[in-house]
Amino acid sequence: MLMKIRLFFVTILMLLSAAAASAQSQEVSGVVTDAADGTPVPFASIAVKGTMTGTSAAEDGSYTINVESRDSAVLVFSFVGYKTVEIPVNGEIIVDCALEMEASYLSDAIVVAYGTMTREANTGAVTSIKNEGLAESPAMTVDKMLAGKMAGVQITSGSGQPGSTTTIRVRGTSSINAGNEPLWVIDGIPVAPGDFRQLSNAGVGGGSSTTFLNPNDIESITVLKDAAAASVYGSRAANGVIIVTTKTGQSGQAKFTARAKYGVQQLINDHNIRPLTGQELIDYNRMALTNAGQNPDAYTTDLLANGTTDWYKELTRLGNVQEYEINASGGTEKATYYSSLSYYRNKGVFYGVDYNRFTARVNADMQLAKKLKTGVRINFNYGDSNSGQMGDLYYSNPIYSMFTINPWSPMYDENGEYNSAIQENSNTNPRAVAEYDTYNDKEYKAQGTMFLEWKPIPQLTIKTTDSFEGTFVNSTQYWDPRSNKGVSRLFMYRTNDMRLTTSNTITYADEFAQAHNVRVTVGQEAMSERYEYYGGMSDDVDPQIPYPTTSTKEKDQIDYGLSEETLLSFFGIADYNYMNKYFFQGSVRADGSSLFGSNMKWGVFWSVGGSWNISSEDWMQPVSSWFNLLKLRASYGVNGNNNITPYRAYGVYSSAVYNGIVTMQPSTPANPELAWEKNKAWNVGLDFGFFNYRLTGSIDVYDRLTTDMLLSKEVPYTTGFSSNFMNTGSIRNRGVEFMIEGDIIDSGDWNWHAGFNIAFNRSKVLDIGDSEYLTVSDSRPSSNGNNSTPVRIIKDRSLYTYHLRDWYGVNPSTGAGLWWTEDGKLTSDYTKARYVDMGSPEPKATGGFNTTVSWKGLSLSAYFEFVTGHKVFETASYVQDGYNLSSGTNTTNLALNYWEKPGDTGVTPIVIAGDPGNYSASSTRYLKKGDYLRIKDITLSYSLPDSVLKKIRMQGIRVYVSALNPYTFHDLNVLDPEVGYLGYSMGASHSMVKSFVGGIEVSF
Amino acid sequence: MILFSAAFVSGLTACQDFLVREPKLEQSNEITLSTYDGLNSATAGLYGYLSEIGWYGQVFTLGTDMRSGNGVKDDVRNSNRFTQEYNWNYLPTNSTGIWSYAYVTIAAANNIIDNLAGKTETDVTEQDLNNLKAECLFIRALAHFDCVITYAQPYTYKSESLGVPVVLHTDSEGKPARETVAKVYEQIVTDLTEAETIIDPEYVRLDGTDSKAAANLDAIRALLSRVYLYMGNWQKAADYATLVINSGNYQMWTPAEYPDVWGKNIAGEGGEVIFEVFSSKSNYSHGNWEDITWMTSPDGSGDAMVSNDLLALYDQNDIRYTAGFRTTDTNNGKGRKWTAKYPGKGEGSPDANNIIVLRLSEMYLNRAEALKNGATIAGVTPESDINTIRSNRGVASIGSVTIQDIKNERRMELAWEGHHVFDLARWGDALTRTDFTLGTMNQNIPFPDYRWALPIPQRELDVNENLVQNEGY
Repeated sequence: MLMKIRLFFVTILMLLSAAAASAQSQEVSGVVTDAADGTPVPFASIAVKGTMTGTSAAEDGSYTINVESRDSAVLVFSFVGYKTVEIPVNGEIIVDCALEMEASYLSDAIVVAYGTMTREANTGAVTSIKNEGLAESPAMTVDKMLAGKMAGVQITSGSGQPGSTTTIRVRGTSSINAGNEPLWVIDGIPVAPGDFRQLSNAGVGGGSSTTFLNPNDIESITVLKDAAAASVYGSRAANGVIIVTTKTGQSGQAKFTARAKYGVQQLINDHNIRPLTGQELIDYNRMALTNAGQNPDAYTTDLLANGTTDWYKELTRLGNVQEYEINASGGTEKATYYSSLSYYRNKGVFYGVDYNRFTARVNADMQLAKKLKTGVRINFNYGDSNSGQMGDLYYSNPIYSMFTINPWSPMYDENGEYNSAIQENSNTNPRAVAEYDTYNDKEYKAQGTMFLEWKPIPQLTIKTTDSFEGTFVNSTQYWDPRSNKGVSRLFMYRTNDMRLTTSNTITYADEFAQAHNVRVTVGQEAMSERYEYYGGMSDDVDPQIPYPTTSTKEKDQIDYGLSEETLLSFFGIADYNYMNKYFFQGSVRADGSSLFGSNMKWGVFWSVGGSWNISSEDWMQPVSSWFNLLKLRASYGVNGNNNITPYRAYGVYSSAVYNGIVTMQPSTPANPELAWEKNKAWNVGLDFGFFNYRLTGSIDVYDRLTTDMLLSKEVPYTTGFSSNFMNTGSIRNRGVEFMIEGDIIDSGDWNWHAGFNIAFNRSKVLDIGDSEYLTVSDSRPSSNGNNSTPVRIIKDRSLYTYHLRDWYGVNPSTGAGLWWTEDGKLTSDYTKARYVDMGSPEPKATGGFNTTVSWKGLSLSAYFEFVTGHKVFETASYVQDGYNLSSGTNTTNLALNYWEKPGDTGVTPIVIAGDPGNYSASSTRYLKKGDYLRIKDITLSYSLPDSVLKKIRMQGIRVYVSALNPYTFHDLNVLDPEVGYLGYSMGASHSMVKSFVGGIEVSF
Repeated sequence: MILFSAAFVSGLTACQDFLVREPKLEQSNEITLSTYDGLNSATAGLYGYLSEIGWYGQVFTLGTDMRSGNGVKDDVRNSNRFTQEYNWNYLPTNSTGIWSYAYVTIAAANNIIDNLAGKTETDVTEQDLNNLKAECLFIRALAHFDCVITYAQPYTYKSESLGVPVVLHTDSEGKPARETVAKVYEQIVTDLTEAETIIDPEYVRLDGTDSKAAANLDAIRALLSRVYLYMGNWQKAADYATLVINSGNYQMWTPAEYPDVWGKNIAGEGGEVIFEVFSSKSNYSHGNWEDITWMTSPDGSGDAMVSNDLLALYDQNDIRYTAGFRTTDTNNGKGRKWTAKYPGKGEGSPDANNIIVLRLSEMYLNRAEALKNGATIAGVTPESDINTIRSNRGVASIGSVTIQDIKNERRMELAWEGHHVFDLARWGDALTRTDFTLGTMNQNIPFPDYRWALPIPQRELDVNENLVQNEGY
């Protein structure tokens, strides 16, 4: 019917134009249609090239335009979302134009909660990245690749250890205790957060573990940043949602791709920090003892008689990384598949540290009947990680001991065995530990998801997605007598976590009167998770047979843990748009969780959003040839956060064996009112595109308000507990995000693409109950039970603020350290120094920029990441100022810039053995600007041209070399400035590494 | 329709059940505190805290001796432990952590005391409940006592100065202020006296491996003797010491027994032990490489070495000298010695060792000191009590004892059991150290001085604005 009407109009038009052909200026007319389906493209713009003349098509796609000469004129047809076309009139009266969709931008399907959506229809703040942007870099996990690539998504590695996890913050830190990691949704199923490895310390960074995913299997990643986008995930959406979609096959001949890469790694130490040499340390210690009025003769060159050892060099090595992968995809009209197999191996830069991973994936889709479709996504992962005691401030941790073991302590004893008589390191030789001890986790993970989709009528989709996720970890820790003072001890743990999820939706989508588009989804979801571990410790096992069987029953101890969690949800989403110009979206979700108090299990979360496609308005048409897109978005919503450990609502006693019997001790205080943490957020954004989408970008402004914050409030020990978990407090995060990218040169063989993103976030603590501030504890164990950090949470300030004694500097005439006192005077008495709340480890701005230049098949790309506006507390320089002498250890070259004579400035204080003046005690002396600019990745690649490929019957061959983290610009006295979100490293985590990798990729 | 409603209602119920996941490995407060069995297990749980590293398990016991001049640091064994105690280098941010253990214990005891009333059952008499209450009162008193001697000036010096908070009921909101030293002692005496009154004189907790690791009437009285001694209430100190000595339940170790009494798994009947802390790897808490055995072993970290100042006090034939210390030839050019009171009970390496809190010889020492200061007990003199100890240690009797003799005897007898620094404080004696190897500050500390009261942990001040820091910090 439509077609007929249109034909009729076109015919009329043709007649009319013919009639007007004799006019002074010559008239040309025609119809602008969509090349794909022949429907008219209303309001398309038509211009005469080289003139000011232009018009736009009517609602039915028809147009008429006057040209000076039909013989020479060229018409330019353009419209938002379509490729611009130039057509010479060539003397014709009728010039029809079929516009092709601009495939790459607006109509791009982006994956959102429970479905996909075009960019055009999206109302929320969403950042999406396709695999092409990801798979080039040699990082081994998905999360690490994303760093610096998305505005407002800050990714911090807590550790450079192979196979380690990352901390991800979407738009700042919104919670103190309920977790800040975003929800990961893989192929429609929220996955189990966290890391179940017990011993390898790879999870020391906390946060997100996506080590089980092969990055090359990923089709796209979308980050849902604001409430509208994320709130469909309700109680778990407060920290944003990361949606990962894996690849599926295309019907056609089987296509194979094989990849191989190999590279080397070393520890990042761009400031060349090193331990002191033997002579340096002797001079340093003698001076320190002399200054303390003690006899310096304990340190003479006699110590050097047997040579010295560079422990930094001896405890580190050149690591390597290799990865091999093959995948196949293809299918028929009815069935498609994608499958892959990959092996990854990373030998760490410290001895005894490595990581191996196998992953296998099968994705298959099948059209069972005309209206019935099914598919499976199956991923298997085996990860094997070995680590020394990385992450603990313990003598066997090389990152600590490589700076503290004295150079005259030899690596080997006279028998050529590892020397363990290293008193300053508690008689522990880290190399011996690496050699003889075991810290191993073997992780087996299986994820299987299947879906069944029925479309009884075209508008209605009924879908069920069901998933199983199982993680099994076998952990072994073995202390060998050779490295543990003659003692052998074995720990073995078996951990399993199983999660079942079912997600069921009904979607109705239709268009009414060609203007009103409606989509409604209602759904239900349920999740059940069970975590269990069973472990044993066996003392004095036989070193020849280091298994529990060689320990006596009396020396075996069993440990056991169990926790369960359930979640039940009902939700609805509605979208409406009018003429693809005005868009509205609303969602509501009710979540019930087993984690909360009996009165507080259910929470309701909702959001509304709208957007206005301004560039579709008539009055924008005059500029539409170059101003292709302008879209305003706004949203508001309420999300929840339930990211806490189970059973926090229950007041319980737990068992404690003492004096041979099972006794009971209070373990947690009761809190039946424990409820969701709420996150209320609004977002206003603007998307724009110019010059035929060669320049695109967006800007977003947001405000996130966390209320009813779950706080583990430190309480006086006089209550019987160190902390109590409750809903109190409020934090606000506000920010601006800006992204822009463009093809600066796009001409034939040459292409230059560049992108830039930056995000500003400010947090403010609005309410922390009745306290003025909260202290922040470190999860690391400490010998004196003092886990306090220099960081506090203070009302009316940004989330984390350093609380430290106020350092002034060095007295140039005596070399003594000086601090400010309460009344603004200088003092050299540490105990009289005032405390100041100063600086925050939270960056003011984060972002990145990238550029790619390519010529034919040759491409050079670089990614940069920057973090600025935050302070870092330099714990690594803690081994300074004669403090080393009370423990008899070495120190680093950072200690050498000390005060020597009156008048010295820009130096560290006078070095006195034992540091009686507490100059090296914690103070703002160690607080520095943490700004850094990291070259994340430089890659040079070459793809063979088609002409060559045809001859050798290949579809594609690409070779590349990459440098990952080759250099970082910063001013800190630390190995690497990426020290974690609390602004200071434990002084013990595996520092970051740099890699140089080469690889080849072949498809056939 | 009815069918539909029924399905809907049962569906809803199922939802509620689906969302209930209770902890299976723990027991609710309600269940624990509503039955005698629960209360009894919770009472037994109180003693466990004493074995923690931060309290008797190591820091309170050894740290005290490392401060007192009995211990020395030397580079023959140095893993950088006890440097703080040795140098008295205390700041509010790194003060000693007994506070946390003591108040957690007090709160756990209060939980039980508050819930005992009316919990008689079949086979559970009022006396059974009273026995539990007496144990709780004993532990509560001991915890308050250890705190007040650590964080406050001695009673005998300034009883009206700030002590520590007195906590008598479970209160999750409470922010108690510090009471005066006198008030704290008053409560300790009240608790112990009530415990003494209500406990069945024959009651001994028998469910554990080591029956001396639980309080009974003698332990309550022995602690009372010590508390009165610390208050300078000489007559009461002597009276309670006499009650324990005359109970007939304990005998002084002979020189022949002395070398073998220290590493035992259980104290057993007879002997000197009145109350001790049971330590074992099978306990929920064991210090591992921080265990007291490892700190005092020449084959371990061995940081806690015996000072020449202490060694110089002993007669060469004193069994406490010949068997109370051990040494090694390996890596020990200076011939340093370590205490032999924690040799380990043979649970592997690192080992475990019980820690004696109250024993008979202390009762004699308490009484001798009290008598010397004016208390009277028929038939005994300071000389007879001191010589009871000396004769059992293989050294000659003293004809006429001075107060200094009593002090020296007490130091020699109770060395490495966590007494001397608190004794110095209550005597008002300065700390003088001549063997101060590796020391960097605070070699000698006069009395009075602010340093005799350690700083209240900053963390507590941060969360409880009613607390006031000690002067000088």
